[in-house]
Amino acid sequence: MKISGLAVAALLASGTASAGAVEDAQVAELDRLRGEVAGQVHLAAYDLVDELVYRWTQQPIFESPTPVVLAGVTVPVGLGTGIGALLENHVAGVLGANPTTQIQLVHCPACTAVVVHSAAENTVVSRGYDNPAVLEQLGTQTGQHALFIDVEAEGTWLVLRARITQLTPELPIVWSHTLTTSAGTPALLREASDLKSAEEARREYLDALNSRGPVTVPVRFVVRSYARPTEETGTPPPPFLWLQTGAELSVSEGGAWTTSLLAGFSFIPQAYQGLMAQARVSRLVTSRVRSQTHPDLYLFAGAAVMNVWGPATQPFQEERLTADELIVNLDEELDPRFSFGALHVGADLRVGSRVGFSAFLENLPSLARSKNMGEYTNIFGIGFQSLGTEVTVCF
Amino acid sequence: MVLPLVLPMLMGFTFDPAPGLFRTKARSRHFECERMTAERGTQLRPGQVREARPRGDFVGRSVVVCTERLLRRGLRVERDEAILSALSQRADDVASAASALRPDLRRRTWLVDTHYGDSEVAAKISFATKNALMSQGLPVSDRVPMLGAGDVAVLTRMEPAQAYVAACQRYYAAGSMGDDEALLAVVSRDPRETVLHAGLCTRGQWTWLR
Repeated sequence: MKISGLAVAALLASGTASAGAVEDAQVAELDRLRGEVAGQVHLAAYDLVDELVYRWTQQPIFESPTPVVLAGVTVPVGLGTGIGALLENHVAGVLGANPTTQIQLVHCPACTAVVVHSAAENTVVSRGYDNPAVLEQLGTQTGQHALFIDVEAEGTWLVLRARITQLTPELPIVWSHTLTTSAGTPALLREASDLKSAEEARREYLDALNSRGPVTVPVRFVVRSYARPTEETGTPPPPFLWLQTGAELSVSEGGAWTTSLLAGFSFIPQAYQGLMAQARVSRLVTSRVRSQTHPDLYLFAGAAVMNVWGPATQPFQEERLTADELIVNLDEELDPRFSFGALHVGADLRVGSRVGFSAFLENLPSLARSKNMGEYTNIFGIGFQSLGTEVTVCF
Repeated sequence: MVLPLVLPMLMGFTFDPAPGLFRTKARSRHFECERMTAERGTQLRPGQVREARPRGDFVGRSVVVCTERLLRRGLRVERDEAILSALSQRADDVASAASALRPDLRRRTWLVDTHYGDSEVAAKISFATKNALMSQGLPVSDRVPMLGAGDVAVLTRMEPAQAYVAACQRYYAAGSMGDDEALLAVVSRDPRETVLHAGLCTRGQWTWLR
């Protein structure tokens, strides 16, 4: 009985320990989530503060510079105090950068401290700004104003409430305002020293987004390399260099879908020359609209038609090209010419919608059985004989 | 051959908030979706919703705008979440009821006190209610009427329905509230409910507004 009792105790202890571990994991997960949400919320909260201060610059509450105590900045329940400190600093920073608001933030430790006032009739425990009579007895200048800011998450909306209270015994609220922004609205990231209205900032953002209109002219430098054949005897084509240009068109809002039609040429003296045309459809995958601040990743698919000629283009024939044939053809100064089509898929990383770096795999259907070319990879039965890299500059 | 062509479109589905290949049902519940006209969608989401053609579209278009909730479920107590997620609406309702039912008190100075289990949430309810009263054009004060320790000791032993009436009488009798002041109390009467009640105290008289 003693042993079984110990076993039960051990089981209970292990159960308690595992329960504790689960709780710790849950707490850690909650902390991680809170941090993630705070990161998303703080830019939107900054935006609301910017909008609040902007309105003060347009319609000052006070006619002359007035000392105001920043009495409290509270943040959404559940997000902790770190974001509160960030927000408080931002309020002070933006107000300092905009003296036309007529609000001068002043330091008042007694206002925010908890004070205990004991008199014959009662004993009152409160914060200083809740009891101006006590502040007066403490020698703090009364008649100042206190600014309260509260930010709260209400469903998909972030709501900022602000009020200014006069620190007299009646504590009248002299001004209040409520601002909201949707969770899906991108932060405007206004410059503190040059505040703009939300409409102006949004217009600037859209202008920047569409600054070059729906059509751009890309100039693209391409290198296509071809896989070695699996049989040792074949000779693969040399890497082909192409210079392409044409037009790229945004077919949806914000550049989510783009199409391009390019023409290109290739010229390496005494080796090869070529002409090509290429069409491509690209889809933005990292966002819904092009970003001005982060690189954009596009996935693309397209087709090309190439016509190449010159001594070095002989490997584009289907039959195996031997070294002997190569030497004989050079002696006879033949100028072989080949035309073929290609299908390609790849990824394009665009930076600032101006410079792009891309890579693609290309399938050459007419050369699928060529003895001079192998495959880099085979996906779902589709062999990709060519690998290309590109650098694009858009004008 | 088909894969390269459909791959970009498949990637587009990653933005679709509906549950499916790329999103679980639990994750989809974080979204609040609203169907609207294409014109309204263009106004709200410029750059993301294509504008209607000058001569109109060939087919009727509508837009479903889905927005993810700021705070995921589980980060806050369920009851607090229910109260806070509609705080503006609740505060406006309380303020509207107060100003509409007692238009004779428009010249009084309004005080606001909130009775809710969590002090942090209570402060937010008070803040929102004060702003809502201010937006109604009413004079509002940050002052909160106070009671002596003896009063509090007695009131906490009474039934809630009687305690609010008695507290109102004591506020006035002790001089904590004057003739020109009106106290709007926002009360959660039961910890299981998510409804906020409102009571009005003027010159020692308590009235339930909602």
